[in-house]
Amino acid sequence: MFFERIGSILQNYYPHILRGVGYTMLVALVGTLVGLVIGLLIGVFRTIPTPRNKALKVCKKIADGILSAYVEIFRCTPMMVQAMVIFWGFALLNDGRTLDVTFSALVIVSINTGAYMAEIVRGGIISIDNGQFEGAHAIGMSHTKTMLYVVIPQALRNILPSVSNEFVINIKDTSVLNVIGFMELFFQAKDIVRSNYLTFETYLLVAAIYFVLTYSITLLLRFVEKKMDGKKDYQVQGSQNMDAESYAIEEGGRRHDQ
Amino acid sequence: MTNDALQTSTIENQQAVCPIIKVEHLGKTFGSHVVLKDIDFEVDRGDVTCIIGSSGSGKSTLLRCINLFETPDSGRVLFHGEDIVHTKNPDKYRQKVGMVFQSFNLFNNYSVLKNCTIGLTTVLHIGKEEARARAMKYLSFVGMDGYIKARPKQLSGGQKQRVAIARALAMEPEVILFDEPTSALDPEMVGEVLSVMRTMAESGLTMLVVTHEMGFARDVANKVVFMDGGVIVEEGAPEEIFNHPKEERTKAFLAGGNK
Repeated sequence: MFFERIGSILQNYYPHILRGVGYTMLVALVGTLVGLVIGLLIGVFRTIPTPRNKALKVCKKIADGILSAYVEIFRCTPMMVQAMVIFWGFALLNDGRTLDVTFSALVIVSINTGAYMAEIVRGGIISIDNGQFEGAHAIGMSHTKTMLYVVIPQALRNILPSVSNEFVINIKDTSVLNVIGFMELFFQAKDIVRSNYLTFETYLLVAAIYFVLTYSITLLLRFVEKKMDGKKDYQVQGSQNMDAESYAIEEGGRRHDQ
Repeated sequence: MTNDALQTSTIENQQAVCPIIKVEHLGKTFGSHVVLKDIDFEVDRGDVTCIIGSSGSGKSTLLRCINLFETPDSGRVLFHGEDIVHTKNPDKYRQKVGMVFQSFNLFNNYSVLKNCTIGLTTVLHIGKEEARARAMKYLSFVGMDGYIKARPKQLSGGQKQRVAIARALAMEPEVILFDEPTSALDPEMVGEVLSVMRTMAESGLTMLVVTHEMGFARDVANKVVFMDGGVIVEEGAPEEIFNHPKEERTKAFLAGGNK
């Protein structure tokens, strides 16, 4: 009985459900990636050493202030409210013409995620040992090259668990965008219930779909993490000109004589 | 092991202008703590200078001032006669002044080979093949050419330091600064690293070494600088410093070390 009802929902409404899954994943994926890019740009900008030039110093201070305001405003207000303010704010400024709903959804999730990512990236960069910076500077790398070739790759690896966390949160939180009429999975569920009145069954099915989506993303990103760590072993090749043991005897003997 | 490799390339681009580095009246304070007071000394081409002294005497800070990791508060650091303390381009200067650290500071995200080529390709803009060949030359010099695919975390301390030395050498700098290169190593590993450094010294490289290895300073250096309390107490040939120290402070330090 129960499973029959679930089956009938799937059978009758699978185009709705698939479309909902598609929209949800599109916004979660794009939002997380664009958010990560925003976070990286802000995180890197914030770590630029304070310029000696006075005018540049003031510019940097002002820019830092603006970025902090952005991060704090978006972190400290609910995304559902941000969605309403941005969507209807745009309409007010443009004589009632509203933005495309999907485009709005992408923008809202991206800039919201960007605010969180900025802090995550900052943490990731702070976690890199100062020796990595010095090692790079010592061979003449500029700050930009140091960040690009040495620090960011390591920071990205370190923040990957947090990024995958954001991705999972985004998959679930796109559901709040139903307030601006974005047709993601939750919106589709509401629509389905309106015609079949199977409230419990429909939402239980949707819950299971959300779980499958988030859990498979979690597993996928864990796999990526493992890949990024590289192989555990390595091959020693050719003959060594020196090995530790011959040294130990040669040097150790001499050292103890003193 | 052959040193020809080192002699042909690294020495070639060292100009005959002496001294390479000249430090004049250098001073550095951290807050109210005076770390360096009126330091004067110079490094000539081919010199192997060892800076010795107790911890906190300012040795490492001096080295870091020369490399511009710290900005001196007063005095000058001359590189081939040109003051580089307020240079617009410290990166350019650091290409010519290599540095080897106590904690190795190898890039954790790269293999041994890439650690040595990344500077060549991104800073010196050398082609991939040539960079690889050059890196291999110096990796085989330090005996690490068999480990090119290993990651730093898979190596022992001594191996890491040898790779770090190869990385510095690959840039073919005019002088290499060593900041307590063996202080984080166990005695066996100290041996392997010092042996590499000795070969470098014999091949005529200019080296400035902050060290607690008195044996190395005595045998390999041609000049020893003893620092205490932020000043150079005494400097001279190793034979003079170790066998006939003039200053009481030097005598006390060396006596302590021989206990």
